[in-house]
Amino acid sequence: MTHTVLTFVAPVNPQKVDELRSLLNEIGKDVPGNRHIPFTSFRLLHFASLWLIEGTDVDGYEPQFVFESNFDGPLDTYLDELFDRAADALHLLYGCCVDYLGTNAGDRALIVSYLRAHVLRPNASYIGTAGRTLERVKQESALIDGLQLCLDDLVKKGEAGSPPRSIREKLQAFVRTRPELVWALNSPRRLTSAEQFMPWVRIIGGALIAVVLLLVFFPIVLLAVIELRYKETHDPPTPKEDKSHTKKLADREDRTHIVQNHMAHITLVKPGLFRQAILRTVLWATNLVAGISIKGKLLGIPSIHFAHWSLIDNGRRLLFVSNFDGSWENYLDDFIDKGSIGLTAIWSNTVGFPSTRFLFCDGAKDGVRFKAFARDNQRYTNAWYSAYPDLTVQTIDNNSNVRDALFAPLDDTATREWLWRF
Amino acid sequence: MVELEYPDIQGLILSGYGHLPCATYVLLRVEDGPAARRWLARILTEVTSAERKQDKASVNVAFTRQGLEHLGLDADTIQTFSRAFSEGMATEHRSRILGDAGEDEPAKWNWGGPDRTKAVDILLLLFAVDELELDSLIGRHRASFSQEGIAEVSALAAGRQPDNREHFGFADGMGQPAIENTSPGKKAAARNLLKAGEILMGHINTYDKVADGPTVRADRDPRRLLRDGEPGLRNFGHNGTYLVFRQLAQNVADLYHFLDEATRTPTGQLDPDASSRLAAKFVGRWPSGAPLVLSPTKDDPSMADADDFGYFDQDPRGFACPIGAHIRRSNPRDSLGPDAVKGLASANRHRILRRGRSYGHRLENPRVDDGAERGLHFICLNSDIERQFEFVQQTWINNPVFGGLHGEVDPVIGYVARGDAIMTIPADPVRTRVHNIRRFVTVKGGAYFFLPGIRALRYLASL
Repeated sequence: MTHTVLTFVAPVNPQKVDELRSLLNEIGKDVPGNRHIPFTSFRLLHFASLWLIEGTDVDGYEPQFVFESNFDGPLDTYLDELFDRAADALHLLYGCCVDYLGTNAGDRALIVSYLRAHVLRPNASYIGTAGRTLERVKQESALIDGLQLCLDDLVKKGEAGSPPRSIREKLQAFVRTRPELVWALNSPRRLTSAEQFMPWVRIIGGALIAVVLLLVFFPIVLLAVIELRYKETHDPPTPKEDKSHTKKLADREDRTHIVQNHMAHITLVKPGLFRQAILRTVLWATNLVAGISIKGKLLGIPSIHFAHWSLIDNGRRLLFVSNFDGSWENYLDDFIDKGSIGLTAIWSNTVGFPSTRFLFCDGAKDGVRFKAFARDNQRYTNAWYSAYPDLTVQTIDNNSNVRDALFAPLDDTATREWLWRF
Repeated sequence: MVELEYPDIQGLILSGYGHLPCATYVLLRVEDGPAARRWLARILTEVTSAERKQDKASVNVAFTRQGLEHLGLDADTIQTFSRAFSEGMATEHRSRILGDAGEDEPAKWNWGGPDRTKAVDILLLLFAVDELELDSLIGRHRASFSQEGIAEVSALAAGRQPDNREHFGFADGMGQPAIENTSPGKKAAARNLLKAGEILMGHINTYDKVADGPTVRADRDPRRLLRDGEPGLRNFGHNGTYLVFRQLAQNVADLYHFLDEATRTPTGQLDPDASSRLAAKFVGRWPSGAPLVLSPTKDDPSMADADDFGYFDQDPRGFACPIGAHIRRSNPRDSLGPDAVKGLASANRHRILRRGRSYGHRLENPRVDDGAERGLHFICLNSDIERQFEFVQQTWINNPVFGGLHGEVDPVIGYVARGDAIMTIPADPVRTRVHNIRRFVTVKGGAYFFLPGIRALRYLASL
């Protein structure tokens, strides 16, 4: 079962920016309980964010409305769910957009095709909980909660010293006697063979093509490296952090007891075809790498649920959205300590990034400047929804691993190790 | 190798003044800026630098943002301080990450909260070799406050228990980092060595960059009291650091009652041994200070100072020291991430120098509350409050999912965000879980201070 990650991006009618902003803020104030979109009743949606890219006089960009969605299955079923549950809200929200022609919330064909027309598929995306549907994440979480309590009981009765095998049998018996846990008696594969196999085909194919192109166009590549070095040494320095902007962002964070946070980010791509080409190439490669990263880690970063990069405004700006575990500071530290090469390669093509060498080096290693860059370009997320705000990628993985092995044949060592997961 | 300039560094940064067991932290408010600057100029000669150890008494001084404003520091300079320092400890977001809610919310604090009458401008730290010396030191300072535009908000007595144990009964102060190339640094393990810029502004930090500090426009320093900075600027922050102060009352009897109840046998009997073992699991060390990683089953006073251990190889599953134990949360060492060396390197980007002391008398019988307040004046030093002190609180201590856990709290100082706060005590093959953990400390006050270098103090006095 695969996920779809995308954003709907629509141009906002400048006269209706205030109206849209206050609508979004109203939803954001109490996301689970808001009267417009009944998120908690959605059956496919993992994470969503709804926010306004405010227009900037400096660059002449018009305001835009971003609706980020990370959901199970293909677009069509999600659009159905969206319309069935939130048609009024869609009509209201998109009523603030320039090219929306709907006259009433009952016009299914129009609203769905409007959404379809504004779908932006990311240039690169990453999914941390590969193969787990919303239903499966929630089921497995409930299963482990139940097993934990059962284990508490066994310990209380003084059975902690029993052989691991017999403790496991008691846990199995607990599941067998619960009709509501009947689904846990077996564990379907997270990904089909094809889903596991295809990303490898793509990345190997991609690597081969890259090598061939590199050899064929070697002199041009060499010139490009020199050009890059020249540009790198002539980029303006990172501007100082705007502290009041950062305060506004930070005030929004850590509302789920620091378990999860959201980051929306927009940067201006450095002018010229050269940077455009490099950025597109790097995003293409990132997408291939992300495709084979199905063990819950991207470049060693274990805390990302869903992340995507999309070029907007004809490639002039780079949109990044991420739903991650832990604090902003921790996420950025992971970027710096673990993922600095990858993200330097991406964001060094955008304005204000700390200075780099040869695309991959330095850049994000300058922790203080990198964080200032990240804060300055971060956008205020008016409304953000998580279907499971207290679960981390690590916990979701651990839950799945417990479930996978619950009824599998295990030897004594594996049985003990399985019990350590609790 | 750069030699530190000891005469410009306040003594507290290099030393916890172990030889001066008596202390009082005087919280002051500026009533009259010009007069207060004269006061500062007068006490300048008394401020202890790192150059010379003072046998009988030491004096150090730090300021909140409002304090600097009231002393007349210009707004442009104030702007160059870090966001955390400028906004202060009692903001909505900080309360969330520091766990200052309910009984601990800043509105209820004795000092440092939103109540303007309890605001603090200056922290005067007085240390002395005995009570007599301390009394005369305080008396001397107090005598002049009112003529010099200073009002005393509160004087917080701080001591040091003779056996170095904090009120819960555990040895305290082990595993401190030290600045490399200093005398404490020469004694410290490589694992605990910090680049000077992790504590001192203006020096190279863990990212091999110069630690950011506040700057003054060159034309505002015509007498050139400060060191030159980038063109047109003078370094006001050089050799200074941020001092984080939190007054934490410890509810000793409450903790011991909790431990006793949590360890009743299946037949309902008290089990004193199990209660002591659970206390050690909470902390991660035994009362003597011996770490559980090195002495998993019983206290071993011969290991009281032992600190040479990691988790990655020695205790990856937490069978000795639980993942969620207080010392493992406060400093996870090499345990986070798939690689011990990299894990240690990233954890070491978040170290703090602890300089706190206990206050109040020890509770004779830890199970019988005497109604008196006692606790810890937690003080720590760091050059980047967000990356160091706040990160430790937010990402480690108060994080319910720290290290792959789920819905847990730091059992010693943690903040209970919701109903059933648990702690898992891993064991082979089956863990136990402690449920409904309460918070055993109460926050009574707190603020972020700037502890300037001596040059910067002189500049401030000269305004």
